[in-house]
Amino acid sequence: MKNKQLALVIDLNVCVGCHACVTSCKEWNTQGSAGPLTDLHAYGENPTGTFFNRVQTYETGSFPNTQTIHFPKSCLHCEEPPCVPVCPTGASYKRAEDGIVLVDYDKCIGCKYCSWACPYGARELDEERQVMTKCTLCVDRIYSETLPEAERKPACVMACPTSARIFGDVHDPESEASKTIANRGGYALMPEWETIPANHYLPRSITETIAAVKEEN
Amino acid sequence: MQPNFSLVFFTTLAGMAQGLIFFIATLKLIGNALPNDFLGFLALPFGIVLLGLSLIASFFHLGHPERAWRAAHMWRTSWLSREVIVLPLFMAAAALAWFFSITNQSNNLIWPILILLSIALWVCTAQIYQCIRFIQEWAHPLTMVNFIALGLTSGWLLLGSLLLFWPDTILQPSFQLICHLGILLLFVCLTIKLTIWKRNKNLRPKSTLNSAIGIRQVSIRQTSMGLMGGSFNTREFFHNQTETVLSNLRKIIFFGAYLIPILLLIYAAQSSSYGLIPAVLLIHYCGLMSERWMFFAEANHPQNLYYQRIS
Repeated sequence: MKNKQLALVIDLNVCVGCHACVTSCKEWNTQGSAGPLTDLHAYGENPTGTFFNRVQTYETGSFPNTQTIHFPKSCLHCEEPPCVPVCPTGASYKRAEDGIVLVDYDKCIGCKYCSWACPYGARELDEERQVMTKCTLCVDRIYSETLPEAERKPACVMACPTSARIFGDVHDPESEASKTIANRGGYALMPEWETIPANHYLPRSITETIAAVKEEN
Repeated sequence: MQPNFSLVFFTTLAGMAQGLIFFIATLKLIGNALPNDFLGFLALPFGIVLLGLSLIASFFHLGHPERAWRAAHMWRTSWLSREVIVLPLFMAAAALAWFFSITNQSNNLIWPILILLSIALWVCTAQIYQCIRFIQEWAHPLTMVNFIALGLTSGWLLLGSLLLFWPDTILQPSFQLICHLGILLLFVCLTIKLTIWKRNKNLRPKSTLNSAIGIRQVSIRQTSMGLMGGSFNTREFFHNQTETVLSNLRKIIFFGAYLIPILLLIYAAQSSSYGLIPAVLLIHYCGLMSERWMFFAEANHPQNLYYQRIS
């Protein structure tokens, strides 16, 4: 069996777009080992800042048969990360032991090349620190020896009120993450670029559920 | 992509210096036509200064220029790293050639080395862009062909301009050659650029919003990108220019970088008014900067699919 590959599985059926994962991610990571994630013009007209995780909203179908889809997006910790080999300094790397893609902020020269080489726009340059930042899968939480064991999960997973985020080893067929991907048709984003994202998304099955309920009644 | 002026200056200035040194080395190899004084006191110092300026320009796109030395580390995988190694090597070899020229030593080994290093630098620079497979405008061998052709052309025009400022009557007959080869090179460059523009126009993006979100077979549109004040993603990957600006700029490129220089060179060759060559270089260089700006602006990054609507 291959090495461990930690990842998130995100359930698009239950994400309600509350942005709790966005704020908890920022809250943890701006004071964690990765931080600070600086904000510019926080009280100005166009506040902007560094985030590891964003929640976007999409609409499908045509009226009146439309659906709203909330779509959290963070680094997908690709198994073939195109951002890593292009880094000239070796600041971007993928950990052999758990597959997390990280940036060494002390080596990053801020050339932004890795962000060009990521088709997902998962990397954000911190404007104040001038280094590239990205989701760390809360590497400083999940291996923490001081946090209670139940809290050794990424901050976004802890915060999600609808349990839309499942964290686990996608190379271990017995993990909840792997089982969910297998049973519920978990898929990867932009498979056409063969980056093999570790993070997976669960397809919407709400319409099928409604149809099934209607049939029962 | 958002064009970055430090990269526009770096790629055009370095490309011109590479072209200059490439032609100097080639001419020395095939006929030793250029006198040592011209090389030692004008052409090679000029090329080295241009390379130095391009190197300084390249530092402006770094967030931490003081750590730039680290960039030589990952040469096994990164074309950017390889470029960081080849550029100083090229400058060192050019400096050595300059030293041989002012001390009137003949060293036949330095010229093939300079030719190889100038080509190596073009390959590295172009591969930085060409190797990103999902920027479809760049991921094609024409990217490299275009960089090399334009570097050779601007370098050749620079060599012609420098010869004009060298008071040596032996070199005078060479200006016909400068004009004729200049016209040929410009024509080749124009053909390459038109081919690239045609290819870009017909490109079908491999990624769609459907593959980006993973929701197939239905119409899908963004209603919110999840932020309102802009982010790195909205600043780095969008040029924020209207179609009118782009189409006007394409005209400037077509006329400035290619057509006007071709016509002026034809006129100069016909009427022996070689004093026009520096003007041709100046107009061509302005067009070249626009061309490089457009090279970045024309590149559509698939991440833009995720950043279409604020709310």
